[in-house]
Amino acid sequence: MKSPRLSPQTLRVLERFIGHPTAWRYGYELSRETGLKSGTLYPILMRLAKFSLLETKWVTTEDGVPPRHTYRLTPNGVELVRKAFAATNRSTLKARRPAFSGGRA
Amino acid sequence: MIPLEFPRRFAALVLRFAICIAPHDTHDWGRGMLSELNHVEGNWAALLWSLGGAGVLAKHAILAVMLLGHHRRSVSSASELFDKEGPMRKTTLAVIASCVLASLLFFLVPVFRQAFQVSLSQWHDVIHVQRSLGYRAGDPDLDALAKKAEQDHDAEALAFVAVREPSQSEAVRLADEAVRLDASLTWLYQIVAVQWSSFPELDRWVAALAKFDPQNALPHLITAEKIDIEQAVREHIPHRTDEEPAAWKDAMSAAFQSHKLDDYLDRLQQLDRRVLVRHGISDPFQAVNDRWYRLPSYGISDSSCYAKWLIESGDSLAVRGDRKGAAEKYLAVASFGQLLAPTDSFFLGREIKTAYKRLGELSEMDGNKAEAAFYASLRDQLDRESEKEHASWRSRFGGSSVSRWNALLIRLAGLLMLFCGGILLICAVGVLVRSRSVRWASLHPSRLTLTLGLGAALGSLLASAVLFVSYWPYSRALHRLISGSDESGASELSNFLGDARVPLGTRSYLGVSNAVFYFWFIVAVLCAFALLVAVVRHLQTRPGPDAA
Repeated sequence: MKSPRLSPQTLRVLERFIGHPTAWRYGYELSRETGLKSGTLYPILMRLAKFSLLETKWVTTEDGVPPRHTYRLTPNGVELVRKAFAATNRSTLKARRPAFSGGRA
Repeated sequence: MIPLEFPRRFAALVLRFAICIAPHDTHDWGRGMLSELNHVEGNWAALLWSLGGAGVLAKHAILAVMLLGHHRRSVSSASELFDKEGPMRKTTLAVIASCVLASLLFFLVPVFRQAFQVSLSQWHDVIHVQRSLGYRAGDPDLDALAKKAEQDHDAEALAFVAVREPSQSEAVRLADEAVRLDASLTWLYQIVAVQWSSFPELDRWVAALAKFDPQNALPHLITAEKIDIEQAVREHIPHRTDEEPAAWKDAMSAAFQSHKLDDYLDRLQQLDRRVLVRHGISDPFQAVNDRWYRLPSYGISDSSCYAKWLIESGDSLAVRGDRKGAAEKYLAVASFGQLLAPTDSFFLGREIKTAYKRLGELSEMDGNKAEAAFYASLRDQLDRESEKEHASWRSRFGGSSVSRWNALLIRLAGLLMLFCGGILLICAVGVLVRSRSVRWASLHPSRLTLTLGLGAALGSLLASAVLFVSYWPYSRALHRLISGSDESGASELSNFLGDARVPLGTRSYLGVSNAVFYFWFIVAVLCAFALLVAVVRHLQTRPGPDAA
């Protein structure tokens, strides 16, 4: 099987999700944790959602504050991402992203 | 001072606008970005957040317009998931390929190739810097024709090159060779002599011309011009015609007594046609040889001075009662004016009208009313002709708005074709490099690449069509000119080619030589910048001493 091509930015986003697969995450929160700007982060999220690997939900947090869009991996997404990571050469991943195993910041 | 809340408000406004133009299936994402804006710390950071998000939505809006068959799909494999570049969109690729093919098919049409050549001519002076600085830069096609003509002893082809040759010595040599091979081309001496004015062979040439066509005034004007140039070189320029040397006066007297003034341009035109057809020359810049000057550059001034001097001499004779002598002087001016008519007589309009007036006055004094009326009618006729010639010259040198617009369109279309070709090349190379394969199935262009490729392909097709349609009337005019069936479009064609050769934007803002300087200056700055970026990136990515 052809090894997947992982962009460092996608990896950074996925490792935030895969650390806590059931948690709903906010866009700005992900942006701060990954260091990605909105123009880079949202295309990644949109692509994951397009492939049904990410689900989205509107949540109300406080009174008077508009609802926020939240994201988490779908079960399919978690499975597929784990398989993909397993198939990926670990040494390559380490070289690209030494802090890969890190969870939430 | 900018209010603190202003960037955040502006950021919200930008995002709302982006949501409006974004496709329906991205509205949730846009609103998500907008809601996050409330949580972004810092007003300027909020603005950056908004601009990034708006960029994403705008990209989707463009893709929605450009790309067809854009549907939600499910993922089936990990490799597909991580393919940042989506699968090839066959429809889009087919459109790109069709447009590129259609643009290339245009090149099969000779007229289009000619149009493309004309559109590139604006780069000629930019690339050949030495020509724009005034140095000789030979035309390879012309040089090849000269070489072939010399080998084949083709006198007409040598003459064709001689009148187009940018180097004086080479032009003189080729003209001499052409006349040596075919003495009936002696008139060629006059064409080249009018063009170059002063060179060692001139006296021999003028003698040959006088023998070839003793009645022609032009060789005498060439002699007078040579004397003027020698005086200018010696910085001994007479202020009055009386002070001119006898040789100059003799030459001008001979010119004014001549029975004709033949510029031989008709013969040159016939020769050009024969050579163009025989050698299959299709370059419009070589084919159109519009010579607006038919007299030596000093010829008009010399003629004017001499005509004034003759009128003054006539006036003196008339005062002394020598009416016959005076009439001869005035008649010499009037008859020379007839030789110049209709194209050049308005240059000497004042002198010729004065001559007619004096002749009319003398006729009245002699009681010859009919002759006086005749001279008056000639004066009126001269006025009308001068007016017509002025209008003709204005139109000839100003050009029509149609030719200017078409030249602009051709230059724009040529630039657009080069630009689109460059974009397509970059896209193709980018896809090949990133795919690391030349197999069709392995190519995975990104949406951005597809969008750029589609835009460039459409732009290239549009530019090709505009180029072809804009040039078509001029190709017909050129064809008619070469075949000799219709010469009415020659002036328009010449103006069009002249405009098409000027680099885009330089006539309005900068001279051509300035444009050449700024072009190469910008190229040098960009190269230096690229080198700097490459060095900085190399230093940033270089492994440290502990990397091993």
